[in-house]
Order: sequence, then structure tokens, then C-alpha cells
Amino acid sequence: MFRKPWRFMEWLFRLRYGKSAEFVLGDVMEEYTIGGKSRWWVCRQLWSTYGPAPAALSIRKEKQEQMTWPIGNEIRYAARTLSRNPGFAALAIVTIALGVGGNAAIFSLLNAVALRPLPVPDSGQLVSVYQIFQGKRSRSVMGEESMFSVEEYRTYRDTNHVFTGIVAYSPFLEATLGGETPHEYLGTYGSCNYFDLLGEAPAIGRGFLPSDCAAAGSGAVVVLSHDLWRDRFSSDPDFAGKAVILNGTPFTVVGVAQPAFHGTEAAYSYFWVPFTAEPVLAARNGAKVYGNANMSWLSLIGKLKPGEAMAHVRADLAVIAARIDRQYPGRSTTLAIDTATFASLPEARGIVMGVGAVILTAVAMVLLIVCANLANLLLARAVGRQKEIAIRLAVGATRAQLVRQLITESLLVALVGGAVGCAASFAAFGAILRSIQSHLPREVPQFHLQTGPDWRVLAYSLAITIVTGMGFGLVPALRATKIDLQGASKRPRGFLRGGLVGAQVAVCMTLLIAAGLLLHALYDAQNVDPGFQMKDTLTVAFHLDGMNYETARATEFQRQLLEAAAALPGVDAVAQARVTPLSDNHVGYGGLTPSGSTQERNAEVNVVSPGYFSMLHLPIVRGREFRNGETNAAIVTESTARRWWGGADAIGQTIRVDSSPISQVVVVGVARDAQISHLGRSNDTYVYFTASPEDQSHLQLLVHSRLNQQAAIRRLVHRLDPNLALDIAPLEDNLKWWRTPVSIAGALAGSLGALALLIALLGIYGVAAFMAGRRVREIGIRMALGADAAAVQQLILRQSMLPVLIGAVLGIAGCAAVSKVLSGILFGLSAYDPLAFVGVPILLIGCAALASHLPARRASRIDPVHALRHE
Amino acid sequence: MSHEHLGEFELIVLLALIRLGSNAYGVPIRCEIEKRARRTVTVGALYRTLDRLESKGYVASWLGDPSPARGGRSKRYFRIEPLGLQALRRTERELAAMWEGIDLRKVPHVS
Repeated sequence: MFRKPWRFMEWLFRLRYGKSAEFVLGDVMEEYTIGGKSRWWVCRQLWSTYGPAPAALSIRKEKQEQMTWPIGNEIRYAARTLSRNPGFAALAIVTIALGVGGNAAIFSLLNAVALRPLPVPDSGQLVSVYQIFQGKRSRSVMGEESMFSVEEYRTYRDTNHVFTGIVAYSPFLEATLGGETPHEYLGTYGSCNYFDLLGEAPAIGRGFLPSDCAAAGSGAVVVLSHDLWRDRFSSDPDFAGKAVILNGTPFTVVGVAQPAFHGTEAAYSYFWVPFTAEPVLAARNGAKVYGNANMSWLSLIGKLKPGEAMAHVRADLAVIAARIDRQYPGRSTTLAIDTATFASLPEARGIVMGVGAVILTAVAMVLLIVCANLANLLLARAVGRQKEIAIRLAVGATRAQLVRQLITESLLVALVGGAVGCAASFAAFGAILRSIQSHLPREVPQFHLQTGPDWRVLAYSLAITIVTGMGFGLVPALRATKIDLQGASKRPRGFLRGGLVGAQVAVCMTLLIAAGLLLHALYDAQNVDPGFQMKDTLTVAFHLDGMNYETARATEFQRQLLEAAAALPGVDAVAQARVTPLSDNHVGYGGLTPSGSTQERNAEVNVVSPGYFSMLHLPIVRGREFRNGETNAAIVTESTARRWWGGADAIGQTIRVDSSPISQVVVVGVARDAQISHLGRSNDTYVYFTASPEDQSHLQLLVHSRLNQQAAIRRLVHRLDPNLALDIAPLEDNLKWWRTPVSIAGALAGSLGALALLIALLGIYGVAAFMAGRRVREIGIRMALGADAAAVQQLILRQSMLPVLIGAVLGIAGCAAVSKVLSGILFGLSAYDPLAFVGVPILLIGCAALASHLPARRASRIDPVHALRHE
Repeated sequence: MSHEHLGEFELIVLLALIRLGSNAYGVPIRCEIEKRARRTVTVGALYRTLDRLESKGYVASWLGDPSPARGGRSKRYFRIEPLGLQALRRTERELAAMWEGIDLRKVPHVS
């Protein structure tokens, strides 16, 4: 019997010599079985057959050479062939670089957001844990439902057998840092072992100690981020031990984090406090978060014990989940356990993956055009190489050898192009990301992503490069070698080339129409009339709730601010609102029952002060605005009135409000429909309420003034509360929220569409020029027989435009099928917008006609005498 | 025609082929050399030499029938060709001429 070392050597031997030298294996086996030699002796003997190839071992020398270095010759030959056609090689390399580079950049982004482990030491050992509930449940949520409560965290921490430790943290804690210029920063609640387990010991001072997290309400200590320490506290080296004011409460700074550490989310965390400080720092009046065992607010990251398998981890934690479920009858929990990344949260992961898939599909379509285009170029080139191929077949090359040769050429081009594209995209990626970041609305928190390529990006890039090389090389290679020796001069049919042009045009049309839709929507968004006045209005945003204002203090603060702001020079109107028009903030209510109905309805609601409607020039079409001191009143929009009470007069109708101290409100007015909540949508169900005392801490100020009073308002607020963080901006800035997604999507689709158009036009031009070139002789005969230039042009145009038109029709149909996906960000623009669906095809077909016209015109100027001599 | 000269190991292999006659294949050739010349020969070295001899036309080879003791693999038999015999004779003459009149015991520093 062959044993392991022998088998390996035997395998190596066969790999080199194939079946032709089996007699050698026979010799050693004979000496092993009959001669009593050892296994190691056998191995030594087989090893001795390596080295300079002994030809006696091989029956066919030719085969042996192939086995020694299978594709070396092909690569050398391919490099020589390509270097003889530098124009073709350069065009192909640039086209592939564009296609592969674009794909690699988008994948890098997706990788940085959703696939890459966290940028902390031993990140491969860190796994995120989230819970997905099924069945009956009633659960409080601060963040996402898949998060954990403190009690659940403790249960997992103390009873698991697979982790060396678990940290719990709650990201996106907004708190106001007091000082000369109070400012709101994003921070993180962390469990006591947060810095220890993540291996991110602070650069200055210390992390959290067990004494910091002894009990709920304890731990008024804070670790600052390096950026915050540098920017706000001038990198004071003795800052540890000093106090800062967070949400009006003093916290002792115990450390400053490492410069590169920004937390475990993509968004920067500027400070960390122990999660036991939540009751102290809590912004929600009376909301019980820390002590609530049924509250989702903490994310978990566990560090695996060495050698622990994921299957075992899942099994171990599932037992704990089932044990917790027993306390909540009817609920069942499954756990989402994965390597910890910036997008581990199941809710976030779903969105990132969905958006990523759409964008990857778009860039893959560009790559498809690249493939079709290069395949066409190769097909055209193959005609020129027919002689060479015929000769090689005649002297004994097999078809398989020729196909391998041609594919090696396309793979070589693809690899060079892919390398160039990837290098360019990796170099430019960081810059592009920074540029996107600088164009985001200022409310979007700063985020950090690792932009350098890792093995995933490199593997993906290599894979798409090889697929591209095969994609554009295989069909032309099969086609080029499918010639009989006599038929070398026979003209190949143009069906395949036409089909490839049609496919390019179809894909290009889809991308261009999508770009057209988005750009039209963007234009609309810039010029849209939302139905109310935004000019000269400032929004003054502050969070009294975040500063733990009780109702009476909040009411007094709002009254004083309103009066002082109204008295400023140039100010002609002031008003308050819980949600400013077209902001990113929306308050939905599910428990509204209009009179005459027993069914609860959903609506978006807002709380506004008297003067709100007149300030925004938002007409009240029936009834009146709110009056000073009025309570329990509501104003509905026209659509809401129509929806709830049909033809009946809405004035005097009542709305019952569940879960509110004001149980019933009376409708006093009907406001005209306007795009107050969503840009491009004016028919939302929308109800305005008067402010109750509880609403006072949530209200924001709107100031209409022809003079710029930002500085004066800032002074006013600072005088009333120096610790209050303040954000003053023109109301028009709210439009940025709506324009940003569509402008990013429009820019992406526009640049992809332009790239696709360029590549497709190059392809169309190339094919038309090639067809004209192949028919020189025929054109000469036609012209000699009396055809004029127009007839010749028509002939060439007809031939090259037919696949374009077929592709265009398919592209329009394809885009019509998928444009519904975009309707969510088109601001009310129809997904079948005629401008995009008629304008873009006209543009594309016009460009295609121009691209084919140039070769057609050249063909029509041929001298018939010269053409008839043409070979 | 210029004659190729035999290397030492080529000479030994050709002599082994003559000794073995019709039973000259890899295993006996190797054993014969190990037994008589008392030198270790690897399979790789042996076949490299046989290949060289075959390419010079000194030996011919053919495959025999498969046998169970060899895991169903054939033996590759070798036979000396007339050119090989000529080369052996030439080498024998050259060596004899060179040895003639030499008594190693009388050479200084040689015991």
C-alpha cells in the first residue's frame, strides 16, 4: 500500500511526467514490495527523478515540455503580439482600467463599511452580537430593537463559555459640552471593560475602573477623543483630572484616547462615559433606560477565546438567549453573531448591503459594456489575424492551443488593465471619500473608514479582472479559430458584432436614463416651490431636554427667548416649532382617532406656536391660525381633512389623541397642502397641535429677519443659558438633506452613464469603421456602377445603426422596468419622466449616428479605381 | 564521423546491460551495479543515463507487459545496440592502451 509521503511523491511525479513514465513507479514499487526497501527510500528515489528532465521517462518530449511550464510560452508570445499592436493594447488597457477601477473603488467602499473588521488590535477575535426577536413582545427601544439591556448584557457576560470578555456600548449619545461655546458632540456609553477588551488603552490617563461602574448613577468620569482634546482643550498635557460639563453635569476627565481610535462605529465618537452614568446624563425626562431589563440600547462585542469555533459560539449563546426568553412568554430570540464591523447592526447591514448591491450592479453594467466593446475589438482584430491563425493550424497547432493562446492574450491585457485601474482607484479612493464627506450636510457626523485595500478588495479585483479577461476573450477566441483552412478569406458574418453593439447600447441606455431621471429630479429639487416661504428665515435649534430642563424652567426659557428675539432690530416675525419644515426630523403618531370614526389613524404631527403659518406664508384656507394661549386645538392640512372627513367641514371636528394628557383636540383651521415634511410630497397626512407645557423643552425657534441676526440671537441664548449648545442656520439649509442623496446618486449615475456612453460610442465607431473598411471593394464596385455618395453613406449607416436601434429599444424597456426603484428619491418626478425617456434616447441615438457617420462619410469618398484594387 | 566517448557511469550501465541480457530493466540494472560496483545508484540518475544512451543510439528500449507485483505497471526493458557495442569496444581499447605498462604499486605516493 502507498502511504502518505509516497503518495505525495507519486502525485508530484505524475504531475511532471503524466502517465508516460509509469514504469518508474513500477520499479520503485517492486523494490518496495519485493526488495523490502523503506518508504523513505521510495521517496528519495522518486525525488531523484526531479532536476533536469530525464527525457527517457517521457514517451513524448513535447508533452513533457508543456508539463514543465505550462503557459510560459503563451505569455511570452502574447506579450510579443501585444507589443506589436501598441494602439490596440493601450485602448484595451485603458478601457479595462476604467471598468475594473470603478468596480474596485465601489467594492472598497462597501468593504470599508460592512466587511472589514474593526480597526482595533486583534479585531479578528472580536464578534458582534445582536438579537432578532420573533413572536409577541413589548419592548422599549433606544436605538434599534436588536440591541440589549444592561441585565441581558450581564447575563451573557457572566454565563457564556466562549468569550474571554464582552463589552457593551451604546453609540450615538448626543451630549452638550459646556464652555465658552457650548457644542453638541456624539459620544458613547461603554461598559467598564470597554478600553481593556478592545485593546485601546488611552494615550493619556486611564480608561474606566470597576469603581467607575459600581452602581447606576455612579461614574461621572469621561475619556475624551484625541481630536476633541486637541481642538477644544489645546492638547493640554495636564488635562486628566480636570472637569468638563456634559449636559450641565460636571464630569472628571480621566483619560484621552489614542489618536487613531474613534470608537466602534463609523461615525466619530468624541467622548466615552461609563454606561452607569446614563441616569445622570440621560436626556429623556423620566425615561428609564439603564435600569430597564426590557430596553434595547446596548450593542455587544465579545472577544473569542483562542481556537473557539463560530458554530460553538452560536450554540453557547443560543442557550442563554433561550433562558432569557423564558421570562417573556411568546417571544423567541435568534442571535446575529458575526465578525465585528462598522455595519454589524442587522438593521444597518440590511441597508448597506441593499444600497451596495444596487451600486455594484450599476458599475458591473459598465464592466459589461467594457467586455462587449473589447470583444468587438478582438473580433475585428481576429479578421486581420486570420492568415496567421490559418498558417498555425496548417502547421499542426490544435484549435485548443490557439484558443489558449488567444485567451492568454486577453487575460494579459485584462491583468495589466486591472492592475492599472486598481492602482488608480486605490490612490484616488481616499480623496474621493474626503470630497464626498465635505459635501454632506453639516449635521451628518464625521466618520472614519479604512480606505486602504485589504485581501478582500484585492481578491475581488483579481476575480473581476479574470472574469473580464475571459468575458471579452473567450467568444472571439472560439470564433477566430473556427475557420477551415480553405475558408480563410471567407467574410465572417457580422451578427455577433452587431449583437455586442446592441448589448452595449442597451446597458448604456439604462444607465443614462437613470442618470437623466436623477439629474432632472435634482434640477427640480433646486428649483422646487415647496408651497411656503423659506427666505430670510433662521432656525435656532437647541435641546432643552438634553440639559434636563424641567417643564416650568423650559416654559420660562422659551417665553424669554421668544420675547427677546422678537425685539431684535429687523426681526418681523418669530415662531416656535417642534419640527422645522423639511428637516430630517419627523414625529409620527399612530393613535389619532378623528371624530366620526372609530379607527385609529397614523399621521405626521408637529407642535407649533401662533404666528407659525403667517411667518412661513403658509395659507390657512379655512378657519384660522392658533391664538396666543390657546390649547387643545389642531390645524390639519387639506389632504388630511379630505381623508378623514371627506366632504364635511373640518372646522369644529375633533381628534382623540391616545397616550397624551390632552385627550381631545378641536380642529380650528385647515392649512393648504405644502411640501412641509418631505420634498416633492405635499399630500401627507399632517396635523399641527398647539404646544402643551410638556412640549416646551422640545420646541425650536424660527426667526424671520431681513438683517442677519445670527450673532445677536447667539448672544441672547448664551445670556439665558451659557451651557446650551446652539445651532443657528438658514431654513433653506434643510433642503440639503433632500438634495444630498439625489446629488450623490445623480453624480454617480451621471459619471457612470458618461463613461458608458464614451465606451459605447468608441465601440460603435470602431464597428462602423471596420464594416466600412471590409466593404471597400464592394463600395468601389457600387460607385463605379453609378451609386452616389449619399447611397453609400446610407448603406454603411443602415448596417451600423440597426443594432444600435434594437439595443436602444431594449435599453428603454429595461430602464422602464427598473426605474420604479428610483421613485423614492425623485421628489415626485414620475419614474417614467418623458424628458428622460425621450431626451436620453434621442441624445444617445444622435451620438451613435454621429459615430457611425464619420466612417460612412470616409467610405463615400473612396476613389472607385483605388477601391477596386483593394485587397 | 566523430565518436562520442563514454562516461564512466555510462560504461558501467552498458556493461550491466550485457551481463543481464534479456532481463535488463530498471530494478535488476540498479541491483547489478550496486552489487558489483558497490555504489549507490538512484532511479533518477539511472534513467537519465539510459536516456542519454538511447538518444545516442547505444541502447534501445521497449515496454513489457504489466505485472501485479508492480501495481499493474509495465517494465521498461533495455537492450544494447550495435552502436553501443562499438562504443564499448572503443572504450576498452582506449583504457587498455592507457593502462598498458602501468603498475600502480610502483607509482610514488601510491600504496
